[in-house]
Amino acid sequence: MMSLLALLSSEYATHLAILVGIYLILAQSLNLTFGLGQLFNLAHVASYAVGAYATALLSTEGGCSFFACVVASVVLAGVFSLTLGSIALRLTNDYFAIGTLAFGAVISALLANWRSLTHGVLGIPGIPRPNLLGVDFYDNRNFLALLLFFVVVVQGTFFLISRSPFGRALRALAEYDQAAAALGANTRRIRNISFLLSSSAAGLAGSFFAYYLNYIDPSSFSLSEMIFLLTIVIVGRPGSFFGVILSTALLVLLPEPLRFLNLDSATLGPMRQLLYASILFAIVWWKRKSIFPEQREV
Amino acid sequence: MLSISALEVAFQETTVLKGLSLSAAAGETVGIIGPNGSGKTTLFNCISGFAAQRSGTISLKDQEIQSLPPHERARKGLGRVFQNFGIFRQMTLLENMLLALESRPGEELSVSPWSSAARRRKEEAMERLREIHLEAKALNKASSLSGGQMRLLEIMRTVAAGAEVFLLDEPTAGVSPRMKDDVTEIIRRLQALKKTVLIIEHDITFIERFCGRIVVLNEGHVVLDDIPERVRADERLKEIYFGQGA
Repeated sequence: MMSLLALLSSEYATHLAILVGIYLILAQSLNLTFGLGQLFNLAHVASYAVGAYATALLSTEGGCSFFACVVASVVLAGVFSLTLGSIALRLTNDYFAIGTLAFGAVISALLANWRSLTHGVLGIPGIPRPNLLGVDFYDNRNFLALLLFFVVVVQGTFFLISRSPFGRALRALAEYDQAAAALGANTRRIRNISFLLSSSAAGLAGSFFAYYLNYIDPSSFSLSEMIFLLTIVIVGRPGSFFGVILSTALLVLLPEPLRFLNLDSATLGPMRQLLYASILFAIVWWKRKSIFPEQREV
Repeated sequence: MLSISALEVAFQETTVLKGLSLSAAAGETVGIIGPNGSGKTTLFNCISGFAAQRSGTISLKDQEIQSLPPHERARKGLGRVFQNFGIFRQMTLLENMLLALESRPGEELSVSPWSSAARRRKEEAMERLREIHLEAKALNKASSLSGGQMRLLEIMRTVAAGAEVFLLDEPTAGVSPRMKDDVTEIIRRLQALKKTVLIIEHDITFIERFCGRIVVLNEGHVVLDDIPERVRADERLKEIYFGQGA
């Protein structure tokens, strides 16, 4: 019992809680477009990367404050989504997925190759933790408290959105686009707004990720990260607010026991990917009809 | 109320509607019949904005709407009831009804479910469901309804959205004979509310009950446009359905 308490109050537990917090923002925001809106958005990690790099660059090279960096990350990720949405939202179904995948690949290529800005694969080190009201945010417990505040705000916002007229309209057009339009729903505008909200929140998650690790490089924003996010939303049931919260905690913490198996890191990494891939495959196979319901047309 | 002039619609090389003209006055109920492929559903798709026309005009309340997207046509008072049921099956009946009420122009929308506008809409949605005897199922998913109940919900939802012109595409398709009377009743209610109704149907006996006019389409043209008795007696109707010499 004592050892369990010690574990829960340890630096390791704080680290895991921070990871869960960042992924809660990231997964719940993906749940808006992919879950409620049934938009197979494969560029969500790109928005996350835009937010992370905005904070990294502005804080290291621009010397900007915490709030300026967070706002810039949210706004730039939003602008990215509007650019992406103006093109990709003209596509439907599979073509939309391919279009967003292509956008994600462009961002990955830029992160790796635009060395003068992003430092390429070497990444950006030395991202300073926030400096607010004299609180030491290099202490992970303080950082967790700050993150928790944003996690609660974001979760609360997405909860209200999912139950608002906007959320209802988003679910309606996901099921039968033309019937929603025939009721007066501006389908393109609703999708664009959902994209903007989702991407902006991913930008916020990116900002916290950069602040937490103090270092970012392109490997954190790869396709496997996108697959991990999809797995979280699919396991939690697309569109389910509480389901995604539970699956985030479950899937972020699930590989942790593997650390105690004394495996070398070359084995541990692939084992995690294998674990997530197996879970994703099993759920998609088991729930294939409800996860991807047939879209109706006139 | 609704006026269509010289409407031409083509899909690649195939011309489906060939200069079709049609009008319906305020409060009028018009039946549209014709064999498969005559262009009935394409006509409705074009009026609603889901199919692009090559030429021609569509006017609603003396305003041309052919260049407007579907949602703007709906907000101007055009209601569409789909042949394959336009309800949202994964949503509850209450949510289906709320969607219609929330889409009305000028509705005050907020994220708060406790706002006075949200409470008022919920009460109105329950009242609308009561009118079609489905209030007890308000929190059930719409997928649990029978075909007839789905149709009632869809038509009442279109009423709630504030439509003045109703395009009903085979409202009795997928509806049991017993529920057909309920569908008839709700169409009669639309007539009592002085709504303009256009109904596509295969069953001429069914639409005769409430249509003052029947339009017969064939190969993208209006072949007949008259009162039901004269349409029924016209030889051209038999020719269209059974071929020449029938």
